Amino acid sequence: MRKPLGTIAGARSGDKGGDANVGVWVRTDAAYAWLREYLTVEKLKELLPEATTVDRYELPNLKALNFVLHGLLGEGVASSTRFDPQAKALGEWLRARHVDIPEELL
Amino acid sequence: MIRVGNASGFYGDRIGAVREMLEGGELDVLTGDYLAELTMLILGRDKLKDPNTGYAKTFLKQMEDCLGLAIDKGVKIVTNAGGLNPEGLARALQGQAKVAYVTGDDVKDRFPEALTANAYLGAFDIAECLSAGADVVVTGRVTDASLVVGPAIAHYGWEKTDYDRLAGATVAGHVLECGTQATGGNYSFFTEIDATNSGFPIAEIDEDGSCLITKHEGTGGAVTVDTVTAQLLYEIGAPAYLGPDVTTHFDTIRLDQETRGVRISGTKGSPPPDTIKVCLNTLGGFRNSVTFVLCGLDIDAKAALLKNQMNQEDITWTLARTDKDDADTEETASAFLHATIKTPDPKQAKAFARKAIELALASYPGFHVTAIPGDGTPFGVYKAAYVPKHTVNPKAVLL
Repeated sequence: MRKPLGTIAGARSGDKGGDANVGVWVRTDAAYAWLREYLTVEKLKELLPEATTVDRYELPNLKALNFVLHGLLGEGVASSTRFDPQAKALGEWLRARHVDIPEELL
Repeated sequence: MIRVGNASGFYGDRIGAVREMLEGGELDVLTGDYLAELTMLILGRDKLKDPNTGYAKTFLKQMEDCLGLAIDKGVKIVTNAGGLNPEGLARALQGQAKVAYVTGDDVKDRFPEALTANAYLGAFDIAECLSAGADVVVTGRVTDASLVVGPAIAHYGWEKTDYDRLAGATVAGHVLECGTQATGGNYSFFTEIDATNSGFPIAEIDEDGSCLITKHEGTGGAVTVDTVTAQLLYEIGAPAYLGPDVTTHFDTIRLDQETRGVRISGTKGSPPPDTIKVCLNTLGGFRNSVTFVLCGLDIDAKAALLKNQMNQEDITWTLARTDKDDADTEETASAFLHATIKTPDPKQAKAFARKAIELALASYPGFHVTAIPGDGTPFGVYKAAYVPKHTVNPKAVLL
């Protein structure tokens, strides 16, 4: 079903110099199996078109994926001209994107 | 078990939190983090104006209010509020308690182009201060987690090679370092809890480095596997989390819900890298910005006219199309055009503001701005650098 990712996933984002990170987690093993398969680097870039160079890490113990978005914030918070220069709401933006979620996970 | 609390996640956090944490229940150590990357720049600029400053002044205020209470209750205070001048802050507190400070993080001599250059120190010097009998330990740039790891080292007498224990305490420190972000603040599923007034977090750390994350009874917010997961994911990179004392493997952390909070166990550690990260801030130049409101029809053409009229180099333009067609309020009929200038020349930053306002009667129909721009402000550029560990010499000093 077409629903916001945040229907089943939480997220938290922040900055490290000019890079941003966004951690995404879900609450059941079934949801993690889906998330791990679904949320690839390519999919993330499709959902967040501002992202260019992205690293993706899996944390199955936390049912979470962590993405590092390199260079999103230019030279860091004090100099960035980006809206939301510390990427505080990047995770909430991602959660608001509509994706195809299997019905049994809703 | 040692109970380590946190009362500050950044310079500007809830000022009353120190009192709340001291009065709200039992604690052994109260920590406070005041130093973000950006804060080092702010303190660096303070110090340029007055070399006696450079530390977090709000911490001093909190101690004027609460240091007596902490001593009465036998709670030790550990904080990085010393910023660029830990000795200065320690001396300001001298006489009221046994105060110690950690120094040696300043490596500016190796980065002459930087305004500030500070190595992220570890936890063992904090532990040394506590073992020497300090009531208050003030540091400059240490890793945020070190504020929590240090007291655990002092309490249990851990060795430098106790990597699993150090890693476990590092995780506790990472959960605590942003205060209420671990207890329901800034939490995706906030609608499921009462996040009106979240209490600050506490880690009850055991001898093996595992811990229970909890908060004082009766405080708001929540400590659940989800609130703790959210904070574990904050500002991390690869699962092997590098620190000056230990490499902490975030993919080995185990979380379990208990009645009083969340148990963290299973964390594995391995030796730290032989380099230490340095936080570098340089002055980048001057910036100024203004947001033009574009209402109604021809939004793109209105933006194009403005850009043509401003015609100044170094401006970054962003058009946010928040306007709706045929809107029934003026605000929802409006789009925002953000213009930001970054320039090495403060005069250019000031001229930008003047130029924008001079257009008030001479530009697109409906011209107005959200706020009159000021003269511009200096901005910094943050960079990380790495130096060999053996070249950094931290020092613990008991006053």
